[in-house]
Amino acid sequence: MNVIEINNLTKNYGNARGITDVSFTVEEGEIFGFIGPNGAGKSTTIRTLLSLIYPTSGSATIFGKDCIKYAPEIKKEIGYLPSEVFYYNNMKVIDLLKYSASFYKKDCTKRMIELAEIMNLDLNKKIEDLSLGNKKKVGIVQGLLHQPKLIILDEPTSGLDPLMQQKFFDLLEAENKKGATILFSSHILTEVQRLCDRVAIIKEGKIIKLEKISTLKENNYKKFKIQTTSGIDENFFNLSGVNNLNKKDNIISFLFRGNINTIMKKISDIEIANLWVEEPNLEEIFMHYYVKED
Amino acid sequence: MNVFIIEMKAHRKSLIIWCIGVIMMVGSSMAKYVGMSLSGGSMNEFMDSLPKSLQAIWGLGSLDLSTVIGYYGVIFFYLLLMATIHAVMLGANIISKEERDKTTEFLLAKPISRNAVITSKLMASIINIVIFNIVTLVSSILFVNQYGNGASVTAEILLLMAGMFILQLIFLFIGTAVAAVSNNVKIVTSLSTGILLITFMFSVIVDLSEKLEILKYFTPFKYYDAKNLLQDGHLDPVFLVLSIGIIVTLSIVTYLFYNKRDLNT
Repeated sequence: MNVIEINNLTKNYGNARGITDVSFTVEEGEIFGFIGPNGAGKSTTIRTLLSLIYPTSGSATIFGKDCIKYAPEIKKEIGYLPSEVFYYNNMKVIDLLKYSASFYKKDCTKRMIELAEIMNLDLNKKIEDLSLGNKKKVGIVQGLLHQPKLIILDEPTSGLDPLMQQKFFDLLEAENKKGATILFSSHILTEVQRLCDRVAIIKEGKIIKLEKISTLKENNYKKFKIQTTSGIDENFFNLSGVNNLNKKDNIISFLFRGNINTIMKKISDIEIANLWVEEPNLEEIFMHYYVKED
Repeated sequence: MNVFIIEMKAHRKSLIIWCIGVIMMVGSSMAKYVGMSLSGGSMNEFMDSLPKSLQAIWGLGSLDLSTVIGYYGVIFFYLLLMATIHAVMLGANIISKEERDKTTEFLLAKPISRNAVITSKLMASIINIVIFNIVTLVSSILFVNQYGNGASVTAEILLLMAGMFILQLIFLFIGTAVAAVSNNVKIVTSLSTGILLITFMFSVIVDLSEKLEILKYFTPFKYYDAKNLLQDGHLDPVFLVLSIGIIVTLSIVTYLFYNKRDLNT
């Protein structure tokens, strides 16, 4: 069963870019990654799903029901963490969480306390005194306390320290094991790679790729930067799997996909002064997708 | 119900401050009446000698300042101003603050419809203006009777307060309608208080010249003018119908537009 089904969703905002013809589905029980650079349309898509804004054309269903017509009903089973967390500043954390719980017709107190403990959240502080990371934790707890069937996360890790990120990911994996479907939006490829089963990649308002993470991992790109002691022939690294080759003085850089040993052997043939091997960032991967499409 | 309770708590402090303000306004003004009444009719003579425009701006009209209720009628003019500023700001704020404070993404991600949000907020606002009205009523009755040398004017004050309540409702809904229609959160409060000031200016202009009499239909302040209410002894049915029409229209606008538009996040 599809938990989320998005059909040709388009949203225009006057001059500013919205989203164009976005379609994808999220199946029950999967963790679906939604990645793209800032401003690509991730939040726009999510806000449309939550009927905070209305689409120009196209439609979406959640749990098989139209996301606008049945908005209040489907939201009973949705937990949402916005990218930027803003709450009622004069409230204490506990007041906000109780307010949040009061919208669901069940007792969420136990789960609320549990989550706050896991996330190491002080319930008696005022919201306005919290750091960004702690506000994010409040967001996580308020989004999960009613044990939703669908969890929608928009850039959830910004502001969290690595330890908390780890705890948060464990929490998500546990929720997922219990049956929750998760839509995880992010611009950080590695965290999406770690958690998700499938990903949709969005750029400039359009979905440019829909892929299983396992496939993406096979396409495991590395970014090489090599400084040689003497100038070498540009064609030296002209092998299959090498992309975006760039040479500037004694520095050669390229993206490589394939058996890493092949390239290491090749490097050992030349005299090098320095070597960098890095994970390419999302932009570079995107650039690669464009190259492929051309 | 939960949104209603949260809104009641959120506005508690400001309501208390407004109520203290209104009590002080009534109390201090009525205290001055004692001094004035000692000077007999000379105050009336002095006021009559003022140019008509000044009289209009001060809200004097044809009120008899030597009687306690006439004097109270002048204060009522200022009480109306306070009550409507409170109401219009409350209405504008209560709807737009979720967008201004960026809490829309919290509230509207909960299982609650936009209509239910508006209804809870309107209920909380109406309770707020009722409290404001009752505090004004009680403090007026107490202070006026205190300084009124025995003349009972409770019935008149009740009538004036009934008028004030309808006026409060009109301006509350002007505030909510502006907030619901406007996409720009920053201008909501200034726009709605702007509307209030313009209609208030109209009501002064109407008093200045009889030729502009027609303008009185465009300013709710004239619907519940102290002078006319005290003369007639009841609310004017035409203005009453007009008020109900305005309130119904504005509440429909509030619901309709808030439902239809993209919310700022």
